[in-house]
Amino acid sequence: MIEIKNLHVSVQGKEILKGISLSINAGEVHAIMGPNGTGKSTLSNVIAGREGYEITQGSVTFAGQDLLAMEPDARARAGVFLAFQYPVEIPGVSTSAFLKTAINAKRRAEGLKEIDAMEFLKLVKAKTKALGIADDMIKRPLNVGFSGGEKKRAEVLQMTLLEPKFAVLDETDSGLDIDALKVVSDGVNALRGPERAFLVITHYQRLLNYIVPDHVHVMTGGRIVASGGRELALELEANGYAKYMAAA
Amino acid sequence: MVATGLLDHPFKEAYASKAGALPGATHAWVDGLRQTARALLNTAGLPGPKTEAFIFTPVSDLAKIPFIPAASADDVDVRDVPLNVPRIAGASRIVLVNGVLNAALSDNIAVEGLRVESLKQVLARDTLSVKPLLGGLAASASLPLVALNTAYMADGLVIRAGKNFAGAMLHVISIGAAGAEPVAFHPRNLVALEPGAQLTLIETHVGLPGQNYLTNPVTEISLAENARLKRYVSVAEDDDAFHFATTSVALSAHSTFNAFHAGLGGGKVRQEVRAAFLGTGSSAIVNGVYALSGKQHHDFTTAMDHAVPHTTSSQLVKGVVDGQSRAVFQGRVLVDRDAQKTDARQLHKAMFLAKGPAVDCKPELEIFADDVQCAHGAATGELDENHLFYLMARGIDRDTARALLVSGFLEDVLESIGDEQVREAFSALVQGWLKRRAMRRAA
Repeated sequence: MIEIKNLHVSVQGKEILKGISLSINAGEVHAIMGPNGTGKSTLSNVIAGREGYEITQGSVTFAGQDLLAMEPDARARAGVFLAFQYPVEIPGVSTSAFLKTAINAKRRAEGLKEIDAMEFLKLVKAKTKALGIADDMIKRPLNVGFSGGEKKRAEVLQMTLLEPKFAVLDETDSGLDIDALKVVSDGVNALRGPERAFLVITHYQRLLNYIVPDHVHVMTGGRIVASGGRELALELEANGYAKYMAAA
Repeated sequence: MVATGLLDHPFKEAYASKAGALPGATHAWVDGLRQTARALLNTAGLPGPKTEAFIFTPVSDLAKIPFIPAASADDVDVRDVPLNVPRIAGASRIVLVNGVLNAALSDNIAVEGLRVESLKQVLARDTLSVKPLLGGLAASASLPLVALNTAYMADGLVIRAGKNFAGAMLHVISIGAAGAEPVAFHPRNLVALEPGAQLTLIETHVGLPGQNYLTNPVTEISLAENARLKRYVSVAEDDDAFHFATTSVALSAHSTFNAFHAGLGGGKVRQEVRAAFLGTGSSAIVNGVYALSGKQHHDFTTAMDHAVPHTTSSQLVKGVVDGQSRAVFQGRVLVDRDAQKTDARQLHKAMFLAKGPAVDCKPELEIFADDVQCAHGAATGELDENHLFYLMARGIDRDTARALLVSGFLEDVLESIGDEQVREAFSALVQGWLKRRAMRRAA
C-alpha cells in the first residue's frame, strides 16, 4: 500500500532522515520505535505533507501515486491520515463544523453526496459513544481546553469518521493514562482490517501491548537499524536502545 | 495641542443661523454646555495627528468637507429600514434617520418601567431630569468629539429603566442618508438604569449609498447599583462615511456593563468606549471584532478607569484586515491608588489577510495600586500555518481551510455574546463580510 524508498530528508540544511526504506501492505500494522530526536516525527510529517522539510532523495508511493507530489489535503482525501502527536487548538472553529467539513471533502472527492446535519449527528453520536467521548465535546471549539486524553480520543474519532486507507499514529500514547490508552487502542483495533494499514510510531512498547503490530522497526539516527516481529519490541523494553544507538 | 484657529472646524457657518433653533436652547444650562463646547472647538479645532489620542485617527480633515446639518437636508426621504439590518426576535425597533427619531419606522414601546423618548422631546418639556446625565459623564473639555457633539446635538434617545426593571430588548437602528449635499449629525443618547434594572440595547449603524455623511453620536450611560446593561453595537456604514462614536459609562456598585462592538464598514470609523468604575464590585466586559477591506479605517479606543477597590474589566478584541485598510486599537487601563483588588484584562489580536493593511496597537496601562491583577496582550500576524496544516491534513482544501480559520478567529469573540439571537445576528453579519470577501477574490 505504501512504499518508502531510500528517503532522505533535511530540515534547514540538516539531514534528519538518512535513507529510510519501508514497505507496508494492506492489512498490516507496523510499529516504529526509537529514542527521542531520531526522526520519527519527521517521517510522519513528511508522509502527511507538512511544509518545511526538504526531500533530498528517495520516494514515497501510496496506492501507486507519488505521495510527495500531492498537497496535504489531496493526500488526506486519497486516504492518508496522521493522528497528531500534538493536535492544535483552534478557537472559534467548532469541532462539529470541522468534522462535517472534513467528511464532506472526502465524500465529494469520492463522488458521494454530502451528508446533511441529521445524518452527520447520527454518525458522530454512534462513534463518540464507543470512544467514551462526551456529547458536548463536539460542540466545543476544536481541541480547545481538551485534556491530553481528550485530544487523543478526538484524533481517533476523526480517524474513525474519515476511514483512511493508511493511518500514521504519531506518539498517540504520549500523555495517556492506562484507561485512555485502552480506549484509544480499542478505537484503533476496531478499524483494523484487511483493506487498511497502520504505522504506529512510539517511544514505549506499552502501546504495542494493546495495538499488537505485525512488524517492528527500530529507528535511530535517521535510519531503520533493525526490523523484526513483535518480539523485537519486547526485547527493546527489556534492554533499551543502547545497543542500536551504537549501531547508528 | 496646536491651536489651529477658527476655520478648522467645519460646522460653524452652517450652524450659525440655527443655534437658536437647537433643542434646549432656551435653557441656560443647555445653552451653557453648547457655548463652552463651541468655544473649545473655536480655539482648538478638531484633533489632528499631533493630538495624542488621535495620533492614528486624525479627524481634522473633516473641515475640508462642506457638511450641512442633517436637519437642513430636506431632500432626504427614508421610507424603509435597509434589508441588511437584522430583525432580532423579541427586540423592539427604534429607528433614527440622520440622528432623528423616526416614529413611523419605530415600534411603539409600552412597557411599564421603561421610558424611551427623543432628546428633543425631553428638552422641550423638562430639562431637569436629564441634567445630571447630559454632559455629566462625557466631558467636552477632554474629548474633542464630545465637544463637537455637544455644540451641535439636535436629537437622540433618552432611555430610562426604573428600579428593578426586569429587562427588555431594544434595537436602535441608525440610518445615515445624505441628499444632494454631505450631511452631519450628532445624536446625543442618554441611558439611565435605576438600581437593579436590566436592559439589553442592540445598536445597528448603517447608511445609504450616495453623498457622504458624518455621524458623531455620544452616548452617556449611568448604571445605578446592581443595574445590568448589555449593549451590542454593529457599525457597517456606507463606504465613504465617517462614524465617530463616543460612549461614557459610569458604573455604581455591583453594576455590570457587558458590551460588544463590531466594526464592519465605513470610510473612517472610531468607536470609543470609556468606563468609569465608581462603585465596588462593578464590572465591565468590552469585547469587539472588526473586519476591514479596501481603504477602510477603523479605530477601537477604550479607557477603563478603575477608581475604587474590587472592580473588574475585561476586553477581548480581534480583527482581520484586508486590502489597504487600517486598524487601530488603543486600550487605556487606569488603576487609581485606592483601587486595590482591581482585575483588568485586555487582549487584542489582529490578523493580516493581505500585505497592504496596517495595524496600530497602543495599550496603555497606568497602575497606581499595588494589589491588582492586570494583564494585557497584543498580537498581530498572519494565519497560523500549523492550524492550516491541521485542517488540510484532514482533507480540507486550502481555500476552505483558510476561510474556516479566518471565520473561527472572529467567531471566537462572538461566542462571548450571551444572547443567542444577537450572537446569531452578529455572526451572520461577520459571515456576510467573509462571503463578500470570498466573492471579490473569486471575481
